[in-house]
Amino acid sequence: MMRLPEFSYLSPVSVWDAVKLMADHGPAAMLVAGGTDLYPNMKRRQFEPSVLVGLRGIRELRGVRGSSRSGLTIGAGTILTVVSAHPEIVRHYPGLATAAGLVSSPQLRNMGTLGGNVCVDTRCNYYNQSYEWRKAVNFCMKKDGEICLVAPGSSRCWAVSSSDTAPMLWSLAAQVRLAGLAGERLIPISALFRDDGIQYLSKQPGEILTEIVLPPSEGWRSTYLKLRRRGSFDFPVLGVAVALRMEGETVREAAITLGAVASQPRPAPEAAALLVGQRPTDELIDAVADAAFKPGKPLDNTDLTHPYRKKMIRVYVARALHALVHGGSPR
Amino acid sequence: MLAYLVAEVLGIEPVDVRVHPADTDLTPVDLGSYSSRVTLMAGNAAIQATTRLREKIFAAAARKLEVAPDRLEARGRRVFVADDPDRGMTFAEAVALGESMHGVLAFPGSYAPPKRAGKYKGGGVGPSPCYSYSACVVEVEVDADTGDVKPLEIWIAHDIGRSLNPLLVEGQVEGSVYMGLGEVLMEEQVFRKGVHKIPSLLEYKSPTTLETPEIHTILVETDDPEGPFGAKEAGQGPLLPVIPAVANAVHDAVGVRIDETPISPDKVIKALELLRQGKPPRVGPDKLPLFTFPAPRVVESAFGQPAESIAERPFGR
Repeated sequence: MMRLPEFSYLSPVSVWDAVKLMADHGPAAMLVAGGTDLYPNMKRRQFEPSVLVGLRGIRELRGVRGSSRSGLTIGAGTILTVVSAHPEIVRHYPGLATAAGLVSSPQLRNMGTLGGNVCVDTRCNYYNQSYEWRKAVNFCMKKDGEICLVAPGSSRCWAVSSSDTAPMLWSLAAQVRLAGLAGERLIPISALFRDDGIQYLSKQPGEILTEIVLPPSEGWRSTYLKLRRRGSFDFPVLGVAVALRMEGETVREAAITLGAVASQPRPAPEAAALLVGQRPTDELIDAVADAAFKPGKPLDNTDLTHPYRKKMIRVYVARALHALVHGGSPR
Repeated sequence: MLAYLVAEVLGIEPVDVRVHPADTDLTPVDLGSYSSRVTLMAGNAAIQATTRLREKIFAAAARKLEVAPDRLEARGRRVFVADDPDRGMTFAEAVALGESMHGVLAFPGSYAPPKRAGKYKGGGVGPSPCYSYSACVVEVEVDADTGDVKPLEIWIAHDIGRSLNPLLVEGQVEGSVYMGLGEVLMEEQVFRKGVHKIPSLLEYKSPTTLETPEIHTILVETDDPEGPFGAKEAGQGPLLPVIPAVANAVHDAVGVRIDETPISPDKVIKALELLRQGKPPRVGPDKLPLFTFPAPRVVESAFGQPAESIAERPFGR
């Protein structure tokens, strides 16, 4: 049986207190919100913090404010169940409600938060293993080792971005608010990520993601499709997040973002650009799906084979676009 | 199940019977709980022990009631004269009489299967003499773009012999169907760098309730001469037909043959591509492992059917 290592749990009641605690404890400390990913990772010794700064007691991190007309602000500590069922989100940002509702299982969505899912650790089946397993293969560079086991010649880590909500928020052009010792900053969510399996977030370790800010939804449609083996529990091995702003039958703006094909959400701007100013016919949708499919380069480090996951990019992008253009359920 | 059998012999309720977990310091030797044989073998042993116990209880009760022991019956927590049910006593009273007559009432029981008609490889494990037959019908939906195989409904008919507790047997059969679905669609032992590739219940996929379709269980009741009160097994039997039934349903749906488990979506997609290219739409091993099967030997059946009357020789000569 794998047990948690010893650690101290601190429970600040304000963001500022949490920021100060993170600064006081430096690299020994990690943030924990729902803990649905962090605690199992600690059991496998992927993380070995001696201090956890818990965010659950901070009221200001929870709740949904604003409106779809002026833009919606979602506290990073809002649990995924609330995000998936919130009437304003379901109605005006349906792709986000869908993505939040497809994370893991109902129990974990009751604990897991939106901020936690955005910042969730990258995954790799050489890395998400017990300490003993990792030791048996001489460890990988993401924890305790020197090389990347999925691409041994590579100088970087190829662990996979495994958030369902991050690609959708990227397509929705969301911003995130970060709080640190130097104060607050609001950045596009695209600037939060880096394509590196280890340093996959650009934020400082002590900075706290406090809010997700959505732009007004006027005229936008969105949807999210998730590839995984089962209808519950599983992390995405491909996510397709599409947002379109339509005028009548013409696409005015389009965003396509792929999840779980790189170490960060992977936008497909060339594919999306094909749609702008056009009526999305079946032929155009096929061309867009083709364009989104080509740059995708999944590696053999998740469930299902990587050639299959690449093939599915085309199918899932086409299905997501059909669903948005013709309405109805995407699957 | 053992409590049901003991209760049936003694005419009491299953709730009156306490089954102790086996402690091998205290129990006689047994080869173990495998081979779909526990209800059959432990059941027959329990019936033998309980029948010995009942004999002693009847002897004491018969003396008190002044009848011959063979006129007694045990039912409804009573021991009474079969053709004169008012003459009798509670089961507890009968046990008390039995103890004062015989002392401690403790009896062993055992069971060994009938002698096998021939020697064969694997016979030494003491296999059950009463394996079951099962048949399975599966309806699947195959997504030709993604290769997803979704079982929609399953019908499974299982030859249970006598069903001792239909609810438990149905649960057992449904469990086997679920195991079969996991084996045919998801579970795979893959080794990489000398270790299991996915040794966790998150990544070694088994179906969830969302992947488990409606299962219609049909218990085909026969009366097996060797089984405890005619019962056979529901251990592994109902697992077996599920796997080929799913493979056949996939073939029926989209015309491709996946000849290895699991039937994963990437294999279905690959086979569909072969179909489009006009090649044999089949994914699976190219050849069987090198193994010379011994010539089959036809022996007298357990029910006395002589070897030469068995015309059909399933594997030829």
